[in-house]
Amino acid sequence: MNAKKTIAGITFIFYLGLLGYLYLGIGQRKTYPAKPISIIVHSKPGSAIDYMARKVAEIARKYSDVAFVVENRSGTQGLVAMQHVLDMKADGYTLLGVTKSFLSTVMVNKSKVSLDDFQFIANMVSDPEALISNQDRNFESLDDIIQDAKKDETQVWIGPGTGSRDHLMALKSWETLGVEANWIDYKSGPQSVLAILRNEAAVYVGNPADTKGKSKLDIVSIASEKRLASLPDVPTFKEQGYDLNESMWRGFAFKKGVPEEAVEYVTGVLQQVVKDEEWKDYCNETYVFSNFENHEVFTNRIVKEIKETNHYLNKAGLLVSYVNTSSIPLIFILLIIIIAVFVALWIFNKFNIRKINYDQIIGGGILSLSLFFYYQTLLFQIPATVNITSPALIPRIWIITLLLLSVILIVKSKNQTINKSNKSPKTVLIIIALLLAYLVAMQWVGYFFTTPVFIMAAMYLLNYRKFAMMAINAFGFVIFSYFIFNKLLHIDLPLGWLFI
Amino acid sequence: MGILNDLWLGLQEFGQFLPIMMMFIGVIIGIMVGVLPGLSPSIGVALMLPVTFGLDPMSALVLLVSVYLASNYGGSITAIAINTPGTPGAVATTFDGYELTKQGKPLHALMTSLTASTIGGLVGTIILILFSVPLASLALSFESYEYFALGVFGLTIISSLAGKSPLKGFISSGIGLLLITIGFDTQLPFSRFSLDIPDLADGITFIPALIGLFALGEIFYSIEKGDNKKVEKTAKVDLTKTLPVKELLKLKTLMLKSSVIGTLVGCIPGAGGTIATFIAYDNAKSSSKHPEKFGKGSLEGVAAPEAANNGSVGGALVPLLTLGIPGSASTAVLIGALMIHKLNPGPELFDKEPGLVYGIFVSLFFANIFMFFVGLMGNKLWIKIIAAPKSLLYPIILALSFIGSYFIQNSVFDVGICIAFGVLGWLLIRGDFPTAPVVLGLILGKMIEENLRLSLIKGDWTEFFTRPGSLIIIVLALVSFFMPYIKKKLMRKAN
Repeated sequence: MNAKKTIAGITFIFYLGLLGYLYLGIGQRKTYPAKPISIIVHSKPGSAIDYMARKVAEIARKYSDVAFVVENRSGTQGLVAMQHVLDMKADGYTLLGVTKSFLSTVMVNKSKVSLDDFQFIANMVSDPEALISNQDRNFESLDDIIQDAKKDETQVWIGPGTGSRDHLMALKSWETLGVEANWIDYKSGPQSVLAILRNEAAVYVGNPADTKGKSKLDIVSIASEKRLASLPDVPTFKEQGYDLNESMWRGFAFKKGVPEEAVEYVTGVLQQVVKDEEWKDYCNETYVFSNFENHEVFTNRIVKEIKETNHYLNKAGLLVSYVNTSSIPLIFILLIIIIAVFVALWIFNKFNIRKINYDQIIGGGILSLSLFFYYQTLLFQIPATVNITSPALIPRIWIITLLLLSVILIVKSKNQTINKSNKSPKTVLIIIALLLAYLVAMQWVGYFFTTPVFIMAAMYLLNYRKFAMMAINAFGFVIFSYFIFNKLLHIDLPLGWLFI
Repeated sequence: MGILNDLWLGLQEFGQFLPIMMMFIGVIIGIMVGVLPGLSPSIGVALMLPVTFGLDPMSALVLLVSVYLASNYGGSITAIAINTPGTPGAVATTFDGYELTKQGKPLHALMTSLTASTIGGLVGTIILILFSVPLASLALSFESYEYFALGVFGLTIISSLAGKSPLKGFISSGIGLLLITIGFDTQLPFSRFSLDIPDLADGITFIPALIGLFALGEIFYSIEKGDNKKVEKTAKVDLTKTLPVKELLKLKTLMLKSSVIGTLVGCIPGAGGTIATFIAYDNAKSSSKHPEKFGKGSLEGVAAPEAANNGSVGGALVPLLTLGIPGSASTAVLIGALMIHKLNPGPELFDKEPGLVYGIFVSLFFANIFMFFVGLMGNKLWIKIIAAPKSLLYPIILALSFIGSYFIQNSVFDVGICIAFGVLGWLLIRGDFPTAPVVLGLILGKMIEENLRLSLIKGDWTEFFTRPGSLIIIVLALVSFFMPYIKKKLMRKAN
């Protein structure tokens, strides 16, 4: 027993030490940079920008006192990552990996996040857009594609995304080449490459690196000023008499308002990175141009390109509203549906509330949810310019199935005896409330204060009474999670708004 | 004997100090990654990536492949011990694995899963070595029509997951299918059903939902039942028998079959190991002599999905190495690693770097065997954790689920998703609705919708039935859907 108390005491002292380190900054450096700098990347590990960020982080080790750590925050075509950076303090420890695709992301999603909220630090590479085809098509030049399009009225171009850079490149190419073709969105890069390997389409709009190791694929042309040193046989649009430049750039940005010293420091490191031999190797291997642009050049480029992107998105009919705003707030609709459904249940059970059993309540809940979703599908409006099946189709199939099934459930379980069990959901409800309180409190007071409180409170609620073991587990867990997440995985657990 | 020659070359490349060290490290880290909820194999592989920049290509790839392999096994440990699938591929393992734990037989489940994972991994590797070229053409032949059919096939498995009431099983899967339509439309750049909540614009994050449904739902339900108050030493854990060898030997054909299923489905880009585990589970149940034991603690129900899950690792490497196409999120990271080391994934790799390719194959072999022994040692530790009083264990699991959900995107909203799905899971379990079909719906919904709509743009619906590939899968789907009912009828007649 005493041994346990001693261990509990030691765990607690370690915990206090951790708090001191985190909040009082004991043993930490004071001048910038005092801790690792995160690079937030908007796509999953293994994507082009993820690779670039990781390569930069690797090379930067040679030139920086602190580490650069890549974090992936994928979702909503980059909005999740952008929002994440804006949620962080502008203290120079959170860098955002930016790509040209963000221009359309912001416009198409009509998001509250604006590119004006960012300070673009530096561009690193430009990755030329490329028209890629299957060897079996024997497209040797852009003119071959044009000839083919004249013969084949339904020439298909593919790539990932609608309104994506690749889609816009297709639109630009059609304009420049005077071609009429169809765009089919294959959702992801790999699926598009598979389709072009099967020769399903005439052209795949992608980047030169997509053809690596695939001898079946030909790059017909790249849309850059000059040829890539590592692909000397691939001609540019310009050489073939078509004036078209379109490259995906990738660089870095801070949230606006970052201290000048941080901007200078990071710019300095990046400048050294692009001079490194390893960086040149990386660019050659991934078929991109190293293209360092400082803050001013980079920002001017973006301002210019925003206008152009807007023009093409408009042309494609993608800058429209896809969902009608409901005249009544959705929350009211939901309430009305729920009330109506449960009134119907009440009537169905011959006006006897007590006869509504658990299955019927669940059935009623699902019925309400399905009706609510159905109402929302009525608000969809699809521009006539795009060739697709309705976005409402599949949800409606599931909705109607659920409607039928829940009605069957309600009818079937009528008059089912309600088996009274001695179960009581009270403790569960308290635990759920505790979890929610933990979630809210964590954002205010931080992970390290709230977690031991939550763990011990939950243990107490569940009738655990050995206090020494409670302390060992609660404080031990916090120390464990600090080392796993903060130290090993470089994920900063929230310290709380009140303290930072 | 070109292959033997190449394998010998590979063995020489692999049999050096650094690659072998990397295999050891990779397996141990992989198991840890699998055990922590929220850390999926692909995140684990990505986390190891920076480390590999400084290594030679062989050691780098061995490290990543070992992490990938071992994390697929690691996920099953928490699935069995605390009903928390550490990785999506371990969902099907919870069905019977956790039941066994509740019955005081966690060691049986853990040993079965370890053995099945190892065999799955080995079989996957052998298939990869011998048949990667024909399998590559299988992977390539999958068009949207076949993907759609495969998604439907996956859905039909509900009929065997549904348990007592098929109606409730269908409702559960409908909930999953409907909820996964929240978020971006598969063709147009706009968000459906997201109620203008920015965090919901991209839909429900899968892993927090999974953790909520299984871990939280189960904890809530068992607290309600008052399990935590019982002073029972949770598991009268049977520590005497360390190796249920006899029972494992009975499962050998099943493990082999499931491994093959896992490898085949795993090699289809984008389909992935998770679907393979469900298909293997369903297949094991319908071919079992004791289908009634499934879902109630059947060792077969643990062996099948685990063998398939680790078999899918070998499968996923097929399109990567032969076509240069990443078949899963983890292999997407591997492809980048290859490129960084100036290697071009694709058919040329076999000709240019046979030593490297076969070195990876050889390392997979040894990694599997090493994983088995690490797993054996680990089992003793897991058993101790399982035997802790529930009132001590539950709060820790809740805190772990919390941080696991937060970690994926540093998102408080995701923790909210986890809690919400926990409540959903609890409400469903209370009413005898199975939760597994919800997950099945969440996994398959996007695949079905994306590929149905892509198919309808490219051609028309008749192609689902005129293309041999999709026709075969659709027929399989119909058989798998009606099989349980036909069997029941036949059984009744026989009685």
